[in-house]
Formats: sequence, structure tokens, C-alpha cells
Amino acid sequence: MNIDVSAPYQQRVAQALSDHNLRTALERATSRLSGKRDVSVAAIELRELRNEARAIKEHAIRHLPELLQQLENNLIANGCQVHWAQTADEANAIVADIARQRGVRRAVKSKSMTTEEIHLNHALEDAGVGIVETDLGEYIIQLADEPPSHITAPVVHKRAEDISELFQRELGMRPTNDPAEMCAAARERLRGEFLAADMGISGCNFAIAETGTICIVTNEGNGRMATSMPPVYVAVMGIEKVVPRVEDALLLWQAVTRSATGQDVTVYFSLSSGPRRPGQPDGPEEMHIVLVDNGRSRIIERGYADTLLCVRCGACLNSCPVYREIGGHSYGQTAYSGPIGAVVTPLLAADPATAKDLPFASSLCGICREVCPVKIDLPRLLLDLRSDLTRVGTPPKYERSAIRAYTHVVERPGRYRWMLRLTRWLSRLLPTSRSGDITRFPPPLSAWTQSRVFPRFPSQSFRQLWHKRQNQPQRPSDNG
Amino acid sequence: MGDRSAQAREEILDGLKSALQQQQALFRETVGRDLPDPPMTVFPPPEDRSLVESFAARLTALSGSCDVVRQDEDVAARVVHQIRQWVPTSADEPIEVLSWEAGELDVARLEQSLAEANITWFAPHELREQSVRDHAAALVVGLTGVTAAFANTGSIVLTPGPGRSRAAGLLPLHHLVLVPLSRLYPTFEAWLLVLRQQGRLEALVRDSGQIAFITGPSKSADIELNLTLGVHGPKVVHAIVFDDT
Repeated sequence: MNIDVSAPYQQRVAQALSDHNLRTALERATSRLSGKRDVSVAAIELRELRNEARAIKEHAIRHLPELLQQLENNLIANGCQVHWAQTADEANAIVADIARQRGVRRAVKSKSMTTEEIHLNHALEDAGVGIVETDLGEYIIQLADEPPSHITAPVVHKRAEDISELFQRELGMRPTNDPAEMCAAARERLRGEFLAADMGISGCNFAIAETGTICIVTNEGNGRMATSMPPVYVAVMGIEKVVPRVEDALLLWQAVTRSATGQDVTVYFSLSSGPRRPGQPDGPEEMHIVLVDNGRSRIIERGYADTLLCVRCGACLNSCPVYREIGGHSYGQTAYSGPIGAVVTPLLAADPATAKDLPFASSLCGICREVCPVKIDLPRLLLDLRSDLTRVGTPPKYERSAIRAYTHVVERPGRYRWMLRLTRWLSRLLPTSRSGDITRFPPPLSAWTQSRVFPRFPSQSFRQLWHKRQNQPQRPSDNG
Repeated sequence: MGDRSAQAREEILDGLKSALQQQQALFRETVGRDLPDPPMTVFPPPEDRSLVESFAARLTALSGSCDVVRQDEDVAARVVHQIRQWVPTSADEPIEVLSWEAGELDVARLEQSLAEANITWFAPHELREQSVRDHAAALVVGLTGVTAAFANTGSIVLTPGPGRSRAAGLLPLHHLVLVPLSRLYPTFEAWLLVLRQQGRLEALVRDSGQIAFITGPSKSADIELNLTLGVHGPKVVHAIVFDDT
């Protein structure tokens, strides 16, 4: 079953929770990824790595204007063309323009969240450019016409059987559930695309200011192919991706990899600093960099610079008890899901109302903060966003009267006891589930039970139990 | 840069400057230290093993393989042996490999040995034309040297240059890497430090257009987290480490 990402939040979650296959796939993938991450970081000085990774990213955001100018100067000195885009539309127009000027008909793309964020594929297709995703996972969801559901494992919501069916239909593959065979089918098809493409497109994991270098992290090698084989190479990067030095990129690469998949390093780490040099047999003849703001400056202005430290490893998704139940598509039409997505999506959205539910999609348990390689305090950001989103005027009248009534009751122990007894008695009139949980409160409390159940009141209150215990003769075993 | 792009540049930089000025405490919390100089060595260097043993063990653990050639052995013969193993044809049938030029491989008498074994190499000067690209893409063995290799992760670095195509270590299903001992370092960080101290790091990164760190064969876990090899890059990576000192 597919989740309708344009449906309201409550509906998306309900669809996800009722999809047994999705929940199986999610449980397998997230527990395995977070398990591998735990093993991997246990082998190193994790505390030190997080502090250093954080220090590098903090430095980069503090010095963003200077570093971006240094990066630009060095990229130009390396023979690259640098473009700036304030919005998603501007960025898309720039790439479409390059394609038009160079007569590009087919483009291959290496996995990139920023191009998902700005919906580059649609824009290029509208401009008459065929664009093919080359990361195996992204290719699968492109064939299925779905958005990615995870930052690093985009097809985490699909089972091998689903993928096989898709490949049989779209690639004419023979029926098989063997991942190696499916992979070979995709390799063959995509190899042809790489060699025939007029343009290669990638995102950017880190950009090194001192050398003018765009770094791409992949395991499959599609990053290296897209940046090496087609005659034109275009990198689309969010402005927060710049780091000062070569060493910083190497450290962050290792921090990202361990947090994302638990590997020491990814198979490929490609550092591109310009078009092919004279005398070289291959490599692109042109290299373009599109620097995209798309709301990032405004994020700093609004006091959420912490989110720009993110290195997109996905560790917070894999560990999040909410993500693990509802999956990426429940977060709606966004490139970013999970805890980081719940913060970034409303901040990047043109209309924040479309994502107003996301900051509440968290139990604030704090595991996301613990696993983050750059120590982003996500629970705190979620709380701040919640308060930003609700701080529009005073609370409704019923809420104020309810608080007044509650204050009146808890001021006196006698009133409190009496109220408890009354509530317990009244609760027996409420509808319950088979296991005895209360499924619906009367309005206005019904909003709370829309997505939750309330445990049945026990027959005796804590006070009653305590009282009884105090009056009983003590048995020796009670002390054990 | 177009007009709109130049205007966007000014707006973005001005916007950033004013936003950064406005926000005195930029982050909820800060680690309160500046750039680590130099950054830590993330993965500890091998202690109880030699660099060669550690490199071989790491690469093997990552589904690659590694041969260590003793000083008195013939490196070229090992290269021939490996290629013949991958391409099972009768001895008189020619094999063509996609390769770097002989001068880039640091192995004595390699050209002669390959020629004697009826192995020809294709070291293109130019891979722009479709017919040349198709020819290169059809070959199943790629032969390259390395710019550097790292013992604690089993990684190599390739940099393109005249006589050193990117394609040789990227397109064929099998990648044969020749690693001279003099280019083997314990860690990335140790290598970076040497280059930095010699003032060569910046030039090495910029001047070749692309440097690639490669750690084992191409792989993916996108299909239900099943490990599959050879998604886009080589499926088989074999290193031959030899003493060139």
C-alpha cells in the first residue's frame, strides 16, 4: 500500500500504522542500521569525534559568508562556474538553463537530498530533459514514482518482492527475489545511462573552501560515475555545506559514515575540484556549482542555526521510536523525515501551516540527541518550534477555565480525593477497547484520544493502597 | 554568472551577515572550542600488525582481496596470473585490459611480461568519442596504481592525470590495484599531515580535478539491507602490494 503524502498528517499516520508490510520493513531496517551504528562508534573515541565534528560545523556556520566567498574564489580559480540561487525555483531555473545551453537531453543524478528538497527532477522534466536517478534505492523509487522515505536508505519501506515486481514490469527482468540479480539488472540499465548522459548532477556532502572542492559520499560509485563520465557536471549544494579545510571534510565523512551505516568509511569519497585538466583522458569538460539558500538564511534569522549543523546521516531516524513506527512518508511532502525532518520541514516550508503537526510527532525521548554526530539538541528544537507555532494569541477560553478549575481542585487534599473518586466512577461510562483502555474522552478532551488510548483507572488509587499498606503489619519479605 | 545569480549572491551574503549579527548566541549550546588543529585520527592506526598485514586484512574484510609480493618475487608475473584467473581463456587467446600507462605503475618489466602473456592494454589518451568509450566500457579488467593507500581502513586514493584515466578504476567489473609499499600510510590523517607539512596538500586536491578515496568493491544495501556488490563501480577489487623501496 502507498501512503498518500499529500493527505492530512493524521491520515498519513493512520495509513502507515495499518500497513503491516511497511512496519515489518521499517523495523528490520532501522533496528539493523542503528545496531550497526552502535557497534561502529564503540570502536572509536566517540565523545571526541562528536566534539570535533561539532566544532568544525559550528565554525563553518559562524563564518558562513567568508567561507562561501573563499569557496567561490577557489572554485572559479579551478575553472568552475559558480551560480547563486535564493529560492528553489531560481536553482531549478539555473540548472535548466545550463541544460538548454549545452543541448542536454539526458541527465544522470547521484543521490542528493537538496535536489529532492527543490524538486529538481520535475523542473528538468518540464524543460524537456530526461533525468535518471542512479543510486539504486533512488532509482527504485523513481521507477515507482514515490518520494524517498529515508535520508540515506530511500527505499527502506519496500520489500524485496515489491522491488522485484517493479523491475519485472519496468526493466523486463526475469522473476527473481535475489538481490544480486536485481542489482545486476539495474547496473546494466544504468551503465548505459551513464555513458550516454549529456549531464551529471550531484548534491554535495561537504564543500572545501580552501581548495574549491565538492565532496560526494557514496557506496555504489554512482557519485564517481556522475562526476566523471558525462561532459557537463553540475553540483547543487545548500550553502551550509561549506567547511574550511581538507582535514575537516575527511573527519566529517568518517563521522557521517559511522552514524549512517556503521561502516568505517563509505566505499567512495569523491572530491571534485573542477573540470578535467589538459592531458587527462576523461572527466567532465565543464563543472558548475549552484549555491542554494532556499530559506537557510532565514533559519539563522529565526534562531534555528542549530539545524544547519546537520550532516544528513539519518541516525536520528533510525533510532527514533516514532519514525520506526510511522516511516518517512508520514512526514508528508518533504525530503526530510524523522526528528531532523520534523524540525527542518516546517522551517523550510513556504507555508509553515502545512507542516505544523510535525514538531508534535515526537515523544521527546531524547535518543536523537544522543546519537547525533554533531550533537544537535533536537528535542529542545522541537519544543521551541512547538511553542513558536502555538504562540499566536492567548489560549482558548475553555482551556483557561479548565486550568482554573484544576487549580481549585488540587488546592485542597479533600477536594482532590473527592474529584479522583468521581473521575474513576465516571470513567466507567467511557468506551473502552478490548484490552480495557479508554478509547474516547468527551469533548474537548476527545482531541487527545484521537491518536492515543488512556489506561483504565485501577480499582484502587495509590492513596488507598498506601493507606492500606501503612495499616498492615510489616512482613520481612517486603524489605527485600 | 547571470544577472539574477549575481543579485542573489549579494542578497544571500548580506542576509547571512545580518542574520549572524542579529543572533548573538547562535546555537542552543556550543562545544566552546574552535577548529581542531589537526583533527583527531578517527580510526586508530594498527598497533599489533605491520601496515601491509593490516591493509590486507581490512581490504579482505570488505569483500576485496590482497596479495603481498615478497621482494624476491616477480610482481609482473603476479599481475599476469591474476588477470588470467579473472578472464578464463586459453593461453594463446589475447586479453585486453583497461589500464593506466606503464609509466604510472612503478612495476619493472610490466609491459614486456604482459605482452609475453598475450595481454594487451588499452591506456586511452582520450575517452571523449563514443566509439572509444564503448570500447573501454566493454573491457572487464581495469589496472591502476595508487596515489596513496591506508592500512587501518584498507582504502586507496586515485587521482587522474595524463596516462591515468578515471575509467580504469571505475568501469570494469574487476579492478586490479598495484600498491607500492612506499605509498602505504597507517591512516588518512597521517597522510594528510605529511602533505600539509610539505605544503603539497592543497595542490594535490585541486590540481588533478578529482581525487577519489576508494574502500573495497562498489556496494549497496538498498534492497532490504542485503549486501550486493558491483552496483556501479567494480564488483571485484584485488590489490597487489609490493616492495618498491
